[in-house]
Amino acid sequence: MTRRSADAKDEGMAMTTEPGKGGGLTARMRRLAAPRRRGKVARRTGATIRMLAALVLAGGLYVAVAPATQAADAATLSRSAEDGKALFDQNCITCHGRNAQGVDGKGPSLIGVGSASVEFQVTSGRMPAARQEAQIPRKRTFWDGEELQQNAESLGQYIQELGGGPQLPANVDPSQADIAKGGELFRVNCASCHAFSAGGGALSSGKYAPTLEPATDRQIYAAMLTGPQNMPVFGDNQLSPQEKLDIIAYVQGMKSDQDPGGWGLGRFGPVTEGLAIFLVGIVALVFATLWIAGKS
Amino acid sequence: MSTHETTEVPDGAKAVDPTDPNLTYREVLEEGLRRDEIEIVHYEPQFPVPGTKAEKRVERLVAFLLLLCGLAAIAFVVIYVSPLGQPEEYHFGSNNWDWFTPLLGFTLGLSLFGIGMAILVYGKKLLPHEIAVQQRHNDPSSPDDRALAAGTLGFIGSEFNIQRRPLIKGALGLGGLGLGAAAVVVPVGMLLKDPHKGDPGGHDPYMTTGWNPEAFNNGKPVRMVREDHTPVRPEDVSTGGQMTVFPDVPGGTTNEHADSPVLLIHLRDEDAQTLRDNLHKYPVNAMDGGSMWNNFVAYSKICTHAGCPASLYEQQTNRLLCPCHQSQFLITDNAKPIFGPAARRLPMLAIGVDDEGFLVARRDFDVSVGPAYWERPSK
Amino acid sequence: MKRRKVDLKALPGATANAVDERFKVARPLRGILNKVFPDHWSFLLGEIALFSFIVLLLTGTFMALFFDPSMTEVKYDGSYTPLRGQEMSHAYASSLDLSFDVRGGLVVRQMHHWAALLFVAAIIVHMFRIFFTGAYRKPRETNWIIGLLLFWLAFLEGFAGYSLPDDALSGTGLRIATGIMLSIPVIGTWVTSSLFGGEFPGHVILDRLYIVHVFLIPLVLLALITIHITLVFIQKHTQWPGPGRTNSNVVGERFFPRYVMKQAGFFMLVFAVIAAMGGLFQINPIWLFGPYRAAVVSAGSQPDWYVMFLDGSTRLMPAWELTFSIAGHQYMIPGIFWPTVVLPGILTVLPMAWPFIEARKNKDKSIHNLAQRPRDVPQRTALGAMAVSFYIVLLISGGNDIIADKFHISLNAMTWAGRIGLLVIPPLAYYITHRIALGLQQHDREVLAHGVETGIIKRLPNGAFVEIHQPLAPVDDHGHPEELPYVNWTVPKKMNRLGALGPAIRGFFKPIEVPVKPQLPPAPEKEREKTSV
Repeated sequence: MTRRSADAKDEGMAMTTEPGKGGGLTARMRRLAAPRRRGKVARRTGATIRMLAALVLAGGLYVAVAPATQAADAATLSRSAEDGKALFDQNCITCHGRNAQGVDGKGPSLIGVGSASVEFQVTSGRMPAARQEAQIPRKRTFWDGEELQQNAESLGQYIQELGGGPQLPANVDPSQADIAKGGELFRVNCASCHAFSAGGGALSSGKYAPTLEPATDRQIYAAMLTGPQNMPVFGDNQLSPQEKLDIIAYVQGMKSDQDPGGWGLGRFGPVTEGLAIFLVGIVALVFATLWIAGKS
Repeated sequence: MSTHETTEVPDGAKAVDPTDPNLTYREVLEEGLRRDEIEIVHYEPQFPVPGTKAEKRVERLVAFLLLLCGLAAIAFVVIYVSPLGQPEEYHFGSNNWDWFTPLLGFTLGLSLFGIGMAILVYGKKLLPHEIAVQQRHNDPSSPDDRALAAGTLGFIGSEFNIQRRPLIKGALGLGGLGLGAAAVVVPVGMLLKDPHKGDPGGHDPYMTTGWNPEAFNNGKPVRMVREDHTPVRPEDVSTGGQMTVFPDVPGGTTNEHADSPVLLIHLRDEDAQTLRDNLHKYPVNAMDGGSMWNNFVAYSKICTHAGCPASLYEQQTNRLLCPCHQSQFLITDNAKPIFGPAARRLPMLAIGVDDEGFLVARRDFDVSVGPAYWERPSK
Repeated sequence: MKRRKVDLKALPGATANAVDERFKVARPLRGILNKVFPDHWSFLLGEIALFSFIVLLLTGTFMALFFDPSMTEVKYDGSYTPLRGQEMSHAYASSLDLSFDVRGGLVVRQMHHWAALLFVAAIIVHMFRIFFTGAYRKPRETNWIIGLLLFWLAFLEGFAGYSLPDDALSGTGLRIATGIMLSIPVIGTWVTSSLFGGEFPGHVILDRLYIVHVFLIPLVLLALITIHITLVFIQKHTQWPGPGRTNSNVVGERFFPRYVMKQAGFFMLVFAVIAAMGGLFQINPIWLFGPYRAAVVSAGSQPDWYVMFLDGSTRLMPAWELTFSIAGHQYMIPGIFWPTVVLPGILTVLPMAWPFIEARKNKDKSIHNLAQRPRDVPQRTALGAMAVSFYIVLLISGGNDIIADKFHISLNAMTWAGRIGLLVIPPLAYYITHRIALGLQQHDREVLAHGVETGIIKRLPNGAFVEIHQPLAPVDDHGHPEELPYVNWTVPKKMNRLGALGPAIRGFFKPIEVPVKPQLPPAPEKEREKTSV
């Protein structure tokens, strides 16, 4: 829950619905007004089923009539990838096009981006994107919990089988990593954009390196591996898998670290420190002078 | 401190003898004040009737503040000597030690707050109110005093009578000048260092970096290494990736060669093509077959504005941003500055691959790296 | 042996006697004890700076016992495990040790840093007070100049301190400082190489900065602060105009005991705020920045707040580089020269000359001991507001990348906003402040002429409505108050309750309605006091 609210706040995005709350509310309303509502719900469900049936029929016809090559492509997909394809065709196809070939001016081709990319984009909520802008922000994920993991995996599998590309190892476990080494690598490779605190920083013309606060181990790994958006790629030849784990260990450790010097002021550096000396120090002491001495 | 003292007795008042043992303190004080031209125009005890409830309340407040001061100070000492202050090993996460500094600051602050407030409350609430008026004297010294001082100075001058002794006058001028020169020359001379000498082989440090084969590598092209001294092969940097590389010379990765760090970028095909097409726009980079190697390009990391590492690489817009003053450079156009205070391009390092397949610098930078200076060659 | 009896009662007298026989202090002591100081909250702002300076000396001395400015590379082996095994300078390692291995070292280090920020902040606030009240006028021009020197010394002292720990921020700051020094025409490279002992960073700069930071500048600061305060003592403090207060007297409290108690108590409060901030707010977490490496930088690298306005001016400066040739040689003046060398130069010289410029403009050669209310000198106030707004635009621009990132504004837009703002906002500030000052003056004059607005509306027999004004002066035969002269001092704006009903509503945060008894309440005590002076 805290993660979610942190995300929403972080991206400054207006969330359309809050499912937890919304669900509870609908449920309550249903209980309260069950007889009256049933008819409406039933009507709606009926309409949806009819619509789906029509779509499936149309899709089936299309598949039957479509060129043989594409049918063949589809035939080689694994079971998981088939699920992924279904999800893709439902949620991603508008921008990324048929078979992830990309749509000019809307979305890039996903051929060769690999499952790592998909996992990063989908589990961080960046995809599906809300709109085209300077940079796709992290937001609440489209799916939740178990479903999210499964769907991201299926989608990833689909994209992977379409065009290959970087893949995440099955297990991203930074528990045995060298934090000190990770720190050094973080400062050389990551701090220039994400800042010493991993709190993010501004890039040119409205773009930014996001904060790593909500990022999971796998997301950080995937980001390094694939270089999402304007982030450079850090392939395995540049930062070995072990070095990546070192960096993750440092970042996650630093995030979890309780500041030894008191409240960290957001770890923004001298800007918030300067603000604090005026808002706390000078304000407190000016009030003190007002009390100590006369006012006129 | 007061320079004015009046012993004149004002009209209608009788002279007071401060040594008179029968005088009260107050009377002596007022005589002193009178002599210092001070008058207490308003003097009012806060509690005309001693021992009222209100007075007791203020007394209790002062006592409480003093006790608070003492208690907080004791707490400070206890925390200071407690095991909390024994960090042993600091690991990320929540440690007991993380509470040590905040608790010390809090208790010390509280203790000082207690004593400060106690003093202030005592002064404000228990001491009588007073308004005193002291006269200022805005006039300068009296004409007499001025004349006396001027005359004295004049006489001192005439005692020297330097005007009549031209020999000494001349000698004094020369001697003083010499001594002054000595006083200046020693500190300046101690610090002074020729900026354009100092690198091995008589190279100009402002024109030489760790990539200079002659100065640092016996004439062999210098390999690119990472911060842990491992050499770099082209395949180590993925397409759309970048790597900070250092010259493979002694101390190359340290601050010894602070002007040498280079950002090695592996461009995508189309971006690399754009850059190749643009190289001739800045002829230095097009020299000798062009400074790029395949899709690789290497720019000095040292910003041409103030010398920060310009290392915020945006792989899709191909911009390089310097985080200190936000200068932005377009990588696909010879790192031309397109925004911010930087006026000059980031120098490009001519790169190639040696026999063993490692990336090298074919030669040192063709232009001076980093911030500009007065005599910077404008090549 | 028989013990000699000590007469305790005679002891103070005997001691005083002994001291006076040797030092002859009775008369100067009396003068100091009796000296009168005016009392106003705004006269205590400079003390914040003075007291922070004392805390700086105390904490700094403690830290100097543990800090080692050597730039020799060592492998860190202290308590802070996330940096273990890293190559770093001895200076950085000893700063880490001071934070993690010296018991209580971190709180002292943080107190030192907060005290430094407070020191400069208080200097600025104090300087504003002096400027806007005209307290720099003859005979106090010298002290104004000393104050400006103190500001710039504090600025340099702070920068040197910021550079000492040799963390990534320190090094980046020093690197920019080299860029600035290099830009000085003709001698740039010579100055830089001489100070750094060669090419940046060299091996000696921290040792040199250390002696500058702990000895050279503190010594000069101490000397100038002493002169600053001595001059206040000799020239006597300015005071606000008001009843009984004239240009040739000081109305206030004697130095001892009240004034000194206020000072002592306030010192403790300043110390308390610094100690609390030192413990509760983390400042300059050098262990997160990492050791300085020439290739390493963090997004959002800023100097401490008092240097930030120069960083801002550097960020806003367009990319203008002057090149020209003299006798066949190409020479250049880099763009960074203007915002970092020329601008501070102007900011030093112009305020120093200001008291003389103003006196000359007003053909004013008299002595001024009365502070002026900002509204009474609209032009100066407006000029000051102009300068302050200029400064604030630069200050904000010094952190524009953080603002851009945290408030989701384009970085480039922030820079442009700063550039345009720097040209547009100061004149606007001048105009608006000038109008406000004149308006406030006008209102004062209105009250002096017609009396205080009471909010009581009266209906006349002919049906017209008039507002009742409470006259401040005796009324003439027609019942109209006589117009009082404008004396540059506070005019009462709230009605005196004498002769009116008591307030119907009490309470500050929540109104408490109390039925008002039909009676005439006595005038509040304060009012009575005021009228008696």
